[in-house]
Amino acid sequence: MNVKPPAVELRQVTKRFGAVVAVEELSLTVQAGEFLTLLGPSGCGKTTLLRLIAGFEAPDTGTVWLGGVDVTTLPPHRRDVNQVFQSYALFPHLNVRDNIAFGLRMQRRPAAEIASRVAEVIGLVALAGCEDRKPQQLSGGQRQRVALARALAPRPAILLLDEPLSALDARLRQTMQIELKRLQRQVGTTFVLVTHDQEEALTVSDRIALVNRGRIEQLGTTQEIYHQPATPFAAEFIGQANLFEVELFRRGDGMAWLRFGGGFEVGVATGAWPENVARRRVSIRPEKIHLSKTRLPGTGAFEAKVVEEVFKGAHNRFTIETAGGLRLTVLAANESALREAIHAGDRVWCAVHADDVVVLGETRNGRGQPP
Amino acid sequence: MSPGSAQRRRPGLTAWLLLAPLLLWLLAFVVAPAAILILYSFAERDELGRVAFGFSLENFQRVADPTYLAVFGRSVGYAALTTVICAVLGYPVAWCIARASEKWRHRLLLLVMIPFWTSFLIRTYAWITILKSEGLLNGLLLWLHAIAAPLELLYTPAAVIVGLVYAYLPFMILPIYGSAEKLDPALLEAAHDLGCGPWRAFVRVVVPLTLPGFYAGVLMVFVPAIGMFAITDLMGGARVPMIGNVIQDQFVGQARDKPFGAALALVFMLLFVAVYWLLQRRAERKLA
Amino acid sequence: MTPIRLLGVVRPLLALSLAVSVAQGAEQLNLFAWSEYVPQKVIDGFTKETGIKVNYETYASGEEMLSKLLIGGAAYDLVQPPDYIAEAMINNKLLRPLDRAQLKNIGNLAPEFLGLPHDPEQKFTVPYLTGTVGIVINTEKVKEPVRGYRDVFQAKFKNRIVVVNDNREIVSWALVTLGLDQNALTSANLARARPLVAEWIKLVKVFDSDSPKTPLLNGDVDLGVVWSGEAARLIQENKKFAYVLPMEGAHPFVDVLAIPTTSKHVAAAHRFLDYLLRPDVSKLISDEFPYTNPNAAARRLLSAEQLANPASYPRLEKFNTFRDIGKAAAAADKLVTDLKSAK
Repeated sequence: MNVKPPAVELRQVTKRFGAVVAVEELSLTVQAGEFLTLLGPSGCGKTTLLRLIAGFEAPDTGTVWLGGVDVTTLPPHRRDVNQVFQSYALFPHLNVRDNIAFGLRMQRRPAAEIASRVAEVIGLVALAGCEDRKPQQLSGGQRQRVALARALAPRPAILLLDEPLSALDARLRQTMQIELKRLQRQVGTTFVLVTHDQEEALTVSDRIALVNRGRIEQLGTTQEIYHQPATPFAAEFIGQANLFEVELFRRGDGMAWLRFGGGFEVGVATGAWPENVARRRVSIRPEKIHLSKTRLPGTGAFEAKVVEEVFKGAHNRFTIETAGGLRLTVLAANESALREAIHAGDRVWCAVHADDVVVLGETRNGRGQPP
Repeated sequence: MSPGSAQRRRPGLTAWLLLAPLLLWLLAFVVAPAAILILYSFAERDELGRVAFGFSLENFQRVADPTYLAVFGRSVGYAALTTVICAVLGYPVAWCIARASEKWRHRLLLLVMIPFWTSFLIRTYAWITILKSEGLLNGLLLWLHAIAAPLELLYTPAAVIVGLVYAYLPFMILPIYGSAEKLDPALLEAAHDLGCGPWRAFVRVVVPLTLPGFYAGVLMVFVPAIGMFAITDLMGGARVPMIGNVIQDQFVGQARDKPFGAALALVFMLLFVAVYWLLQRRAERKLA
Repeated sequence: MTPIRLLGVVRPLLALSLAVSVAQGAEQLNLFAWSEYVPQKVIDGFTKETGIKVNYETYASGEEMLSKLLIGGAAYDLVQPPDYIAEAMINNKLLRPLDRAQLKNIGNLAPEFLGLPHDPEQKFTVPYLTGTVGIVINTEKVKEPVRGYRDVFQAKFKNRIVVVNDNREIVSWALVTLGLDQNALTSANLARARPLVAEWIKLVKVFDSDSPKTPLLNGDVDLGVVWSGEAARLIQENKKFAYVLPMEGAHPFVDVLAIPTTSKHVAAAHRFLDYLLRPDVSKLISDEFPYTNPNAAARRLLSAEQLANPASYPRLEKFNTFRDIGKAAAAADKLVTDLKSAK
């Protein structure tokens, strides 16, 4: 049986703009049919990565492969890749139909095929009735759909999306995220999306490549990225995290026992703690800390004082302080009135499960802390 | 505005006051001169060359004389050729300037505009120095042994076209540049992305989107080029009269027949309006 | 008819400066004259002597001057029309009679330039410079003798000829060649002249009134019919150029000075006129513009070389100037336009 080649493969790619290194020695593989998101802060190089795949930029060193073929020197119009631009880049002199048909016309498809394909994608993005309008006459959301339809119409092997939802308002953005995911499942095309919005990345992606300073900080499924951040940058960029340093206290029973600033201890699987390292940073997600007015059984429990309480609707955000002076953020669901209420000034017992304590590595390129 | 939502409001006093400078400007520089021209065109010339007001269509009959129609046709022909050459030369230049980096863009624009800092006459004399029999170009060609005897360059129709193109090229470049510079580079990338090679992207996207600037350029070259007379005098040896020469002659030349000059100018102006209107309609249809 | 006519790009600016200086009140004189025809040295000298400020506004043709004067607006104190325009102005009472008492130097003028048809009693005008329209030849390129218009306009000289871009001039040459009166622009005469003018126009390479000497100097043409002042300059420049009065009959012209009836500084205008008539001042004009100086006293101050220039001081038998022809000028204009177009 043939193994399908990866949709996209970047091999040791470096791209500099003058003195600025946008992408450094970066390798990445995108499997056919997957929805991969390049997530990172602005200026991290994620857009450059997209442009390298599209062919708008040529790498200084390294190669770009699409579907198992080296396309490093191929211009954009020879690549089986279409892009949804951040500004949509709809042609203002063409109506919706002609915008969508543009790629097909460039491929010199028969008129009948063009018509049926245009009708098909218009149905796909729910734009029926807008065919004769000019882009200027559409709402932001509609323009976004036209851009999507235009890029999908030629049935590219890979669809690139450069911050496609950033111009939409929050509510529409959420709808479109779901829509995008649905669309990708429906057409089965490989999607590579660039965004700086971690929530969007988590919603739409199969896998996320976290990009920082021209390198990939972490690549993994959305679950892996969230639950097992590899570095302090990863932990902080996605979701919220309590980051602090701990020291190895002892090993035993297949566990590595860590001592926190406040004096309490928690055990993690011994394999999670590297050999010959005494101190490391760990991450605990705020919702993984359980608060109670009564002492909970088991290890990983410690006492603390609630110093601040912020009402956030469905949940509360607490700031607690341990006896050793360590401040932690805790998110707790606003549960039913049957449960005891916790308020600022209360003394509480906290519990953390060993699995929720993530021992972090160093930031990948070792150039200090994330912003 | 939704249909029937509100009655159209009449402009209030403030609105009129705000419009006053524009209206005054139009009155002083558009309406008044046009009115004088119209009034003159129906008048007659007295013995001394003064305007004797009256109502006569004779001037318009004279405009229709084959002599003047031929002059008119020639002026339009020269202007059209000038416009075509300016477009062919100016479009790529404007496009390249618009695509250059910001630093270079400013320098290149400056180069386009530097000739304006010198008197038009001096620039035309410079061309005479280049094109004359014992001029720089013939000197160069003789020195290179490309020719055996000096070429006849000056005082030819070609020299007139060179002069016209030189004079009006910036007026083609600048509006096209204005359009091209506003063009979102992402549109070009989108075209490439959707399978356009550079040439097809240019034809399918760049040309249609820079059309307003192009039309403006065509107007700014074609219209004044019809009326130009200094270049045909200086570089063409005044051998073939242009409509501008004929009109000038009626106002400040020997003919001293202002009413007839006014009639010529009026017909000439109506031609501008017609050309403008046609271009405008085409542009609107393209972009509507 | 004149020497050096520049296209009037600077005129609006000058008009503006005139308007500004009028506001100032000090004694002044508004001179409206050909561009590059009154030396700046002369104007400065007058201001230095009298304290009268001279505003020099220029025009490129006598017709243009007349047009502006008729429109009104700026009040000119002294104008400089060619003979036939002056005649029209006198006939239409646009000029003020001169006060001879204020013109002590008028006696310096040679009698042959006085009492000409445009101002028979010399009541309104004073000659400034005079000249002729004649043939200039580059003798290095043209070896055969050229004596008249028919010698100039030959097929072998096709595209080697420059003539002044002046439709009435061209028509007048054809008329005198046919033995007709140069001032009789009747439709019958024009019809007779038409074939000749048509033939001639086809041979001409450059029509230029502003600086017909330029194509001759540049080697673009080898002979021509030009203003004598232009020819005189060519001869000053290079002895290879020769000047010939056409044997069919040369056309002399006189550019005069006159005071319009609308003048507000009549006394200053007279002072300036008298100043220009002074031999030492008139000599300065001749130094700069080598036309024929009608001032006999000034001529005595000129160098032998200046006086020997055949273009400046040709041997002229008849003094047959242009006359005002009214509307007929338009007919001559149309004839040449027509023939140039048909070319």
